[in-house]
Amino acid sequence: MNRAFHWTGAAVIAVMAAGCEVPPPEVDQTGFRGLGIEFVYDEGTREDSLAAIESRLPAPINALPAMDPAPPGTYENVQVLGHLSQAEFTVTMQAITNWVAPEQGCNYCHVVTPDSVNYASDAIYTKMVSRRMLQMTQDINANWRSHVGDTVGVNCWTCHQGKPVPTNYWFYSGNANQVERHYLDREGLRVQGPYALSSEGENPRGTNDAEYAYGVMINMTNGLGVNCTYCHNSARFADWSESSPQRVTALRGLRMIRDSNMEYMVSLQGVWPTDVANYASYPDRSRLGPLGDGPKLSCASCHQGAYKPQYSNPASYAGGWRALTEIGVPHPQPDEASGSEDR
Amino acid sequence: MIEFQNLLNQVQVHGPPDQGVVTKNSKWGRTFRPGGMNYLFGKIGDAQVGPIYLGWLGVVSIIFGFAAIEIIGLNMLASVNWDLVEFVRQLPWLALEPPQPEYGLRLAPLSEGGWWQIAGFFLTVSILLWWFRMYYRAKALGLGTHVAWAFASAIWLYLVLGFIRPVWIGNFGEAVPFGIFPHLDWTAAFSLRYGNLFYNPFHMLSIVFLYGSAVLFAMHAATILAVAKMGGEREIDQITDRGTAAERSMIFWRWTMGFNATMESIHRWAWWFAVLTTLTGGIGIVITGTVVDNWYQWGQKHGIIPDYPEYYEAPAVPVQQGELDAPYQQAVPPMTLPGLPGLDLSEPGPQSLMQDQPGDAFTDQVNPTIGNNR
Repeated sequence: MNRAFHWTGAAVIAVMAAGCEVPPPEVDQTGFRGLGIEFVYDEGTREDSLAAIESRLPAPINALPAMDPAPPGTYENVQVLGHLSQAEFTVTMQAITNWVAPEQGCNYCHVVTPDSVNYASDAIYTKMVSRRMLQMTQDINANWRSHVGDTVGVNCWTCHQGKPVPTNYWFYSGNANQVERHYLDREGLRVQGPYALSSEGENPRGTNDAEYAYGVMINMTNGLGVNCTYCHNSARFADWSESSPQRVTALRGLRMIRDSNMEYMVSLQGVWPTDVANYASYPDRSRLGPLGDGPKLSCASCHQGAYKPQYSNPASYAGGWRALTEIGVPHPQPDEASGSEDR
Repeated sequence: MIEFQNLLNQVQVHGPPDQGVVTKNSKWGRTFRPGGMNYLFGKIGDAQVGPIYLGWLGVVSIIFGFAAIEIIGLNMLASVNWDLVEFVRQLPWLALEPPQPEYGLRLAPLSEGGWWQIAGFFLTVSILLWWFRMYYRAKALGLGTHVAWAFASAIWLYLVLGFIRPVWIGNFGEAVPFGIFPHLDWTAAFSLRYGNLFYNPFHMLSIVFLYGSAVLFAMHAATILAVAKMGGEREIDQITDRGTAAERSMIFWRWTMGFNATMESIHRWAWWFAVLTTLTGGIGIVITGTVVDNWYQWGQKHGIIPDYPEYYEAPAVPVQQGELDAPYQQAVPPMTLPGLPGLDLSEPGPQSLMQDQPGDAFTDQVNPTIGNNR
């Protein structure tokens, strides 16, 4: 028709050929060339989330160096932080407030009335949950270094992000093949068999199982903000020898989530409030799913769409917090302490 | 007025509707008389509507087909709690799923795949009756039955996917769900389960014929359109009064690729490419999971898979040597729901599911390259 028309058309085609994404996403090759084993991410989106993370950073607070445990009888009803000194204990309490309930403050978990303060009371369910979550964090940092790293670890802010209830959790949906069940008690991701021919051996898995495995994998990629080839050679998903080391880290993570869900989240079943009236002062008190189960973890709970939680912001690390990195012990009372000395 | 009619200069001729030839053996006659001319149809094809011949094959086929669509649609509507707005909004994701594998080849309860079986039966009857209709109408007109046999090739693939292969394997859980995205999800899962369908040589052939069909279609259509201004689309005229259209189009291809089809052979090529697409595709599907279990492993045996150099410093194998060769464990059935009110966690039931099973890839206590993995 005319020259302008043709140039416009060429420009439109060029934009469409670029995947309709301006600017095009960043691609880092992470495996052998030509296999599409690469990490695809959108620099623009990532900048946004980096800025968002900066905007919600907790008030800075530093861990204290390790000191002798607080003398017996200092505290009442301290069950998982008995290994801390008095100073560490106090700073830890402040840090947890900064990480989890910066707006709600101490009495989100502790009974604080105008007349008195009863820090020992377990009357508020959030204190029971916090204790269990401390145990879980200690367990993760001490025993799951194959996933969270020897020096990195996690703290409360990693998941909570300054909110008493983290953003990502799941409940039972009633669907028998709910993919989140893999974060709890289901097996069955290994659907590809080692046999070329059916006559060489039996592989009882069917296409249904593959759909379940596919769903689990998509759930994981959504949680991590990565694509299949971050871990796999997509030509041969099952082959470990051509998978990236991240796949092993992910496998550890999967087992860590199962352990955390089974040991800690599920064990809180009796603790979650069921009676609205008792918790009327907590407007966000609804803690149970449609089938009456408590919240449970997935990859997204910590990762929140990032291949490393909070894109490796040091505020999400366990730091030097002994309250989070060492398996806690009950704080002894004076008579118990003397009793142990007699032995 | 004599006017040349083609896409470049489309004039819709309005004469008396063509009642068609008189055929023997057409007892039912023409069910619907010509409805006359439709302007919009004339924009894309011939403007005349009808006569449409239904006959008992057509009538019964439509009834069965309608029943199948109705069953599928109502099941989808029920799955969104009979909410029409949600039905429209979620339609691409809605499904009518086949029964779970444990029902085997028996009739499953209606809500657990039974409706799928019934809908599949009705749809199959409808399609087969429609095939006979294509066959007998071609015969009645004294035509060849090329259309029917091309259709049969597509039906072969349909039957393989929904009936022949599931029956061979022994359960309808292997069949394809009804639904827009669900059937695509099934395709992805199918390829994943059987070790990447791209290594299936019949899948390769099917793709060759599919893409080849598209190329042939484009070449043929473009050629005819290009010579339409010389009357090239009037193939009969070309025979009696050859003109220059056919010769120019043939010279064009001889100039550009040194060889050309004839006006007859181009259609033969296209027919075979189209027919072989579903014919080879069906073969590839029917031997997947019945004869070949893992196409990637099969490809390795037969040297069609390249060997890539080791890329990672430490091979990311979290299992012991030989462990991946161990037999498979069954998938754990989702019978238990830990953490529901009333469930006693001290019982070993759900906890035991967490234990490593012999032969499971999650059994990885020893891993020299990774170190402590709990």
